[in-house]
Amino acid sequence: MDRSTPLARFWDEFRTNRVALVALGVVLLISALAIAAPLISPQNPYDLANLVLMDARRPPGFVGSKGFTHWLGTDAQGRDLLSAILYGLRISIQIGLIAGAIAFALGATLGTFAAFLGGRIEALIMRIIDLQLSFPAILLALVLAALLGQGKWPLITALVTAQYAYFARTAHGAASTERSKDYVDAALSTPLKASRVVFRHILPNCLPPLIVVATVQVANSIALEATLSFLGLGLPVTEPSLGMLISNGFQYMLSGRYWISIYPGVALIILIVAINLVGDQVRDQLNPRLKR
Amino acid sequence: MSSQLLEVAGLTTRFETRSGALNAVEDVSFSVAEGEIVGLVGESGSGKSVTGFSILGLIDPPGRIVSGSVKLNGRELVGLSHADLRSMRGREIAMVFQDPSATLNPVLTIGTQMRLAIAAHESLSEAAATARCIDVLTIVGIPDAGRRIEAYPHQFSGGMRQRVAIAIALLNRPKLIICDEPTTALDVSIQAQILTEMKSLAARLGTAMIWISHDLATVSSVASRLLVMYAGRLIETGPIAAVLRQPHHPYTKGLLNSLPGVAEPGQDLVQIPGSMPSLVNLPEGCSFRPRCTHAQEDCTLLPAFATDGDRAFRCHHPLNLPVSASEARP
Amino acid sequence: MSETRALVEIDSVSKRFTPSVSIGERIAAWLGSPIDTRTVHAVDAVSFDIRKGEVLGLVGESGCGKSTLGRVIAGIHPPSNGSAMIDGLAVMGSGSKPLKTTTRIQMVFQDPFASLDPRVRIGETISEGPLAHQLVSRADARAYVTRWLLAVGLPAEAAERFPHQFSGGQRQRVAIARALAMQPDVLVCDEPVASLDVSIQAQIINLFLKLRRELGLTMLFISHDLGVVRHISDRVAIMYLGRIVELGPTPAIFANPRHPYTRALLDSVPKLVTGSDELVTFKPIQGELPSPLSPPSGCHFHLRCPFAQARCSTEPPQLDGRHHAVSCHFPLSDGE
Repeated sequence: MDRSTPLARFWDEFRTNRVALVALGVVLLISALAIAAPLISPQNPYDLANLVLMDARRPPGFVGSKGFTHWLGTDAQGRDLLSAILYGLRISIQIGLIAGAIAFALGATLGTFAAFLGGRIEALIMRIIDLQLSFPAILLALVLAALLGQGKWPLITALVTAQYAYFARTAHGAASTERSKDYVDAALSTPLKASRVVFRHILPNCLPPLIVVATVQVANSIALEATLSFLGLGLPVTEPSLGMLISNGFQYMLSGRYWISIYPGVALIILIVAINLVGDQVRDQLNPRLKR
Repeated sequence: MSSQLLEVAGLTTRFETRSGALNAVEDVSFSVAEGEIVGLVGESGSGKSVTGFSILGLIDPPGRIVSGSVKLNGRELVGLSHADLRSMRGREIAMVFQDPSATLNPVLTIGTQMRLAIAAHESLSEAAATARCIDVLTIVGIPDAGRRIEAYPHQFSGGMRQRVAIAIALLNRPKLIICDEPTTALDVSIQAQILTEMKSLAARLGTAMIWISHDLATVSSVASRLLVMYAGRLIETGPIAAVLRQPHHPYTKGLLNSLPGVAEPGQDLVQIPGSMPSLVNLPEGCSFRPRCTHAQEDCTLLPAFATDGDRAFRCHHPLNLPVSASEARP
Repeated sequence: MSETRALVEIDSVSKRFTPSVSIGERIAAWLGSPIDTRTVHAVDAVSFDIRKGEVLGLVGESGCGKSTLGRVIAGIHPPSNGSAMIDGLAVMGSGSKPLKTTTRIQMVFQDPFASLDPRVRIGETISEGPLAHQLVSRADARAYVTRWLLAVGLPAEAAERFPHQFSGGQRQRVAIARALAMQPDVLVCDEPVASLDVSIQAQIINLFLKLRRELGLTMLFISHDLGVVRHISDRVAIMYLGRIVELGPTPAIFANPRHPYTRALLDSVPKLVTGSDELVTFKPIQGELPSPLSPPSGCHFHLRCPFAQARCSTEPPQLDGRHHAVSCHFPLSDGE
């Protein structure tokens, strides 16, 4: 008899895809580096006292006045780019995860309850969400970021608002299917409280498609955050995220100092591509239609 | 004695699965005479449907026929090319499934589908093809066939859809129709209509049938011979009334006894303990041994498929056997 | 309380399903596309009682409304009209979104693959209801689950496993344990053996018989299988297109069916043929089940009934008779 838990079986299947396994490794490695940024980076890029303007815009491999090598060069303020990228990743991942988690919780709850309750409430919630989905996320985030000002929480608010609708839509679709299954009727005939039926029974069964959306949306919110920061609507200059590093280096691109923009960009691309590769495999595994 | 239309000998169909290789059908041998209706009975996982698919060459990887032969009118079907199999299917052997929506294309009218089914095997003028379609639809009891032929599958009820599926199976006048639980999804009143019609069809057209079902009562009302399968193996065959009256294999007997109607109302049914073993992990010897009340030590050796007149069984300790026959057994 | 009082009273229960029309469909309708707003009368003014300790079989073909009726009685759907009561108290509360108010009626479903939440361990599936209704304390929950698992013939270790690790028959045992753990007086069983293999079917039927003897359960046993119903029920109700057409003691229904539909249904059941030259003859019911969207006028069965007369197409008959009730203008006489 098969005694394994669903999670163990999931992992067994996941392991068979080498590309996804490598991508997962990359995601975990980048995350570990980002978490450990204060311990491993050569310089604290936020401490203005550490920055030496003399060392600004130096190419990769330059040995700075503080005596250590700037492997990826320095930016316009003389920041060590490697340190700045590690700290930037830290902020990007942090914001992506927090925004993703809040959007997930909000959207999944709204979508599942709408499907469970049905009738007018469902129609009202879903039409609002449809309306919101018809605006581009970037536009919504831009307006909100402009209205709420700079800072971490205004930025997260903007990201959540732009993204929860995707979770709600997905959760609603999955929950509508689950709602009609006998185990929900069994719970209702016990009877169990509506909140228990939704959170213990319907929601966990809607997780597969939601997890797929979540991986894509975390990558998207990292990209969106970078975009907003690039446009100057994200975090303050004192806490540069990847988007702002790219933005800062942009003006030097044509003067040959490519590294200030390119290296943060490469870091961003690797992270987003890796997350998406993991997401693709998760989606393939959770999609019953592709089951072999 | 009439000639044998279909002869299956030592058929073994194996599936390679994640948890290991399993023989969904193992060493199955039987024959079907022309115009005969043979009932193939078993529980889920017994291999009865896979047997049907194997005869038609419809086994796809990870499954394959590893040994045995299937002969139709003396012609070997195992190992035929896909093209040869395709031209054989429908023309010589047709199949009717439990769920007619699996056979019918929802976006084509049934007339179009039927004409396509004819065109696959012979070139007939549009008018002649249509005439034959209407003929066949009338035979299976669809009223007003001339008009209904332009309807889409969803415009028919479940029972009528199954009749259309049967009509399509009859289109090219096959010699054998394999019916896989054709009435299981239908209500008893509709089932009764279809059973009656299938039986008279077989008699009228001389079509042989293999009637696959889990329901002994249904099979007993159409078939003249019974094949019982358990865990991939054929365990008992014979004329249906004789098998049902005096089953030799304890499993057949157990199945019969467990039917409601055998015990007095309100009394416990005679149940077979336990459940069918996993095909990946079959018990040694007779696969029914762990559930059998008659099992003895020698049952750990696989019994041979012993023939006794027109009956055959795979059991070391058969029931209801005349003493002489029991001693004469190899 | 008088002894004759029934435990479960079904009082002219109706259930209608009206398709909800979305904004999109309204626009489509306005542009000329036809939309179906016809109401389905799944259950049409059904009344009957179930006495304490009795097993009532409810028989009908698919689409006759027997499952819907079962779900109304089990408190999953609110009735559109009428009420289902246990000991004189309504199963459902009132209001626009009524909720089930009693735990005394529990339900066992047809498909044990669908009725168990695949992501919840068996132990929690069984204990969550009793915990929610304080039938057992959290500290005693484990022992309580074990007790019910053993009662339905499963090992105590089953509590730690997930539904996918069990066969169909074992899952149905789990579903029965879940219902019983709520300590109900009444069990509504909707085709509980229909999706099981014959040998497993017998095991589950025996389990029901044993539980009934030991716990004195009252049951509504819904099935399309006349053999199973005959075996397990004290009384049988026959349902056709949302209405009860005949209701009476099991032996009477099977020996002397009085409604032409009951008789035709009994004649349609394939019987085990064991005589070598026995001729199998069915007397199949003519025609098909009419759509419940537009049931025939008068007696719903009159289009297929060999005994129908002019009155049958205009005037719906009432279910009449105390011991053996039949809803027919021209019932078959006893012994015919």
